[in-house]
Amino acid sequence: MSALNYLPSFPLPPNPLALFGLLLLAGLIGGELVKRVLHLPRITGYVLMGMLLSGLGLLNGKLIDEAWIFVDIALGLVLFELGRRLDLRWLRRDPWLLATGIFESALSFGFIYFALIYFDVQPLYAAVAAAIGISTSPMVVMLVAHEQGAEGQVTERALHLVAMNSVIAFVLVTMLLSWIHHEYHASWITAVLHPAYLLVGSLILGYAASMLTLLLSRWLGKSAERHFVLLLALIVVTVGVARMLELSVLLALLSFGVMARNLDARHDLMSVDISRVGQMFFVVLFVVSGAKLQLAELVTGGTLALIFIVARFVGKSIGVLSLTHFSGVRAGSAGMLCIALTPMSVLALTMVQGTASLYPDFAARLATIVLSAALILELIGPLAVQFALKQAGEAREEQQ
Amino acid sequence: MSDNEMVFKPSPGFTIGVELELQILNPRDYNLARDAADLIGLLEKHRHPGEIKPEITESMVEINSSIHRNHDSVLGELRLVRDAMVRAAERLNLRIAGGGSHPFHKWSERRIYPTERFKRISNLYGYLAKQFTVFGQHVHIGCQNGDDALYLIHMLSRYVPHFIALSASSPFQQGQDTCYQSSRLNTVNAFPLSGQAPFVHSWDGFLEYFSKMRGFGIVESMKDFYWDIRPKPEYGTVEIRVFDTPLTVERAALLAAYAQSLARYLLTERPHVPSRDVYALYNYNRFQACRYGLEGRLVDAYTQRHIGLREDMLETLRLVERHAAEPGNGAALAQLAADVAAGVSDAGWLRETYQRCHSLNDVARLQSDLWMGHAATA
Repeated sequence: MSALNYLPSFPLPPNPLALFGLLLLAGLIGGELVKRVLHLPRITGYVLMGMLLSGLGLLNGKLIDEAWIFVDIALGLVLFELGRRLDLRWLRRDPWLLATGIFESALSFGFIYFALIYFDVQPLYAAVAAAIGISTSPMVVMLVAHEQGAEGQVTERALHLVAMNSVIAFVLVTMLLSWIHHEYHASWITAVLHPAYLLVGSLILGYAASMLTLLLSRWLGKSAERHFVLLLALIVVTVGVARMLELSVLLALLSFGVMARNLDARHDLMSVDISRVGQMFFVVLFVVSGAKLQLAELVTGGTLALIFIVARFVGKSIGVLSLTHFSGVRAGSAGMLCIALTPMSVLALTMVQGTASLYPDFAARLATIVLSAALILELIGPLAVQFALKQAGEAREEQQ
Repeated sequence: MSDNEMVFKPSPGFTIGVELELQILNPRDYNLARDAADLIGLLEKHRHPGEIKPEITESMVEINSSIHRNHDSVLGELRLVRDAMVRAAERLNLRIAGGGSHPFHKWSERRIYPTERFKRISNLYGYLAKQFTVFGQHVHIGCQNGDDALYLIHMLSRYVPHFIALSASSPFQQGQDTCYQSSRLNTVNAFPLSGQAPFVHSWDGFLEYFSKMRGFGIVESMKDFYWDIRPKPEYGTVEIRVFDTPLTVERAALLAAYAQSLARYLLTERPHVPSRDVYALYNYNRFQACRYGLEGRLVDAYTQRHIGLREDMLETLRLVERHAAEPGNGAALAQLAADVAAGVSDAGWLRETYQRCHSLNDVARLQSDLWMGHAATA
């Protein structure tokens, strides 16, 4: 026994807590610098800091895996919150909003798909990329809306459209899994059962979580503090179970949120603000997603990325502009909605995570198409949402 | 404002008109929303009776009725305007509620509705402008001439505690039970030009007072006076402004019918010569009504009698019975008398609802259910 064996052995093992704290600190500083120097949204700063850290080799793949648990928590919080905001009764009362959601999703898929086909991308990759492109990043829109204290028709409608296009994108990507399995000569049972398992399993998990939440919230009584803890607990549990069962975190948490609100006929669950505790996880989420982006990819993706972005924007805009008028909102709101739907995140790729690990070759080829577009949108997305909400007059008043 | 607008335009006696300031809520946590502009914009696209206007903050909207002869006719129109507004609100996923205050909103989160007048008020009064996000009902009563209007104002001042107690629906403010039945009027008191009309008896005397105040540079128009009861020369009316917005249009119409019957009684029978003593007792009586509602006490300036508000109201209702029957308000006032006798009030309903639900979010939700005409179920 040596006299110095109480000292740590080198190299130091990564410690998740130290990592979390450091990522949080790095994000905080990056966000503040970007806000002060460039007057851009803090979220852009978190992402840039992540890119910088990974560029310097400080945040490598192994550490990103270590930090993923915090990303999952952040995802869970945001997706649940978004689901809870989705008011199905509103979609019944204003069918034009529902129609807008479906139409803009369909058009953005169509435009991206045919644009990519035109530029010689194979149909399977074009289809999966286009399906991913349907979704607007719920994280970016929710967090910018929160940071801006935004409230109003554009904010609410943007969040509803985001929730709809996220679900549509996920369902479509999941159905395309059959095609991917087929392409890689998996058995037809796999091709059919895998998507079915993902969809049905995630929905059942969301339903179970929401029922448990409603039961417990009734039992706990009306106390904001207890409901706050209850929600945090069940969100984290649901994320964990979804991972354990290889289900979709996105669909499970989103449906958990939707059902917790829309099945709460007795109004047992209080509306509590979970974003304050969420804030620290959100910072880490964006730093990590920045770290997953490589500037080198921008070069390889190049033109294709621009085509992807333009096709997506045009598809979404035609969808929104042609139908929003019928909802009776103020003139100009539709334009702001188009801009607010811009953000896309590299995290959208997690929709194919399970499949990607089965077929690494597929994942690599898809990444070259989508990643560079995600990189650009990850950086300009927050700015676009901030611009739209401010122009719509829905952001918090600037302090004089 | 030109002097022309200070000419009292005679209106057919005892007609009524109602203005209601309403709350716009979101359907998530039932806090105040900020969608007045979208709501008003959408309503402008459809034909509906009455008028719909913005108010000082973006969480408020005001509906105005046209001119009516009695309870049933004003109620009919208020229901139509309410239904039009409910339809528009549902398309925008908003809730509309009555009540004199929102139970838990934070005034600092409010935003001033962007018009020149509201911006000017906000610059002048600072935080009071945002705190003024409280919701009142105004009842206009048509008068034949300005002298009648001033007589009516001084006579009605004795009955201000009635109006307060009957309409009281603002027990909660900023998330707290205020102990008041109507806490809204405490917010109004903070304004320097609140209070009562000057003790003058002829329209000429009033014009003299008004031009003096304008000469001082304090006011530009009648709108700058926030009095409890003020003359509105361009409409030819006396405007009673102390009512909290009730929880339903039905209650709002009852209050208008009571004011109309009382005005008819006072102007027809001229029971008293206006007395300054009414104003000496005014703030005490007004406080009693705000604090205790129907259970408050009142000192009658004309008889020096101390009397319970509820008892005084029941006596008054008997006194005006004949004048209620004439325009067809008999049934309405009988209903009101039954409510007063039973001690029913909107403030009471709000407190009971809180007792039952233990959450002010639920109170606001049920408040909006009640206004929008859905059966309230807890």
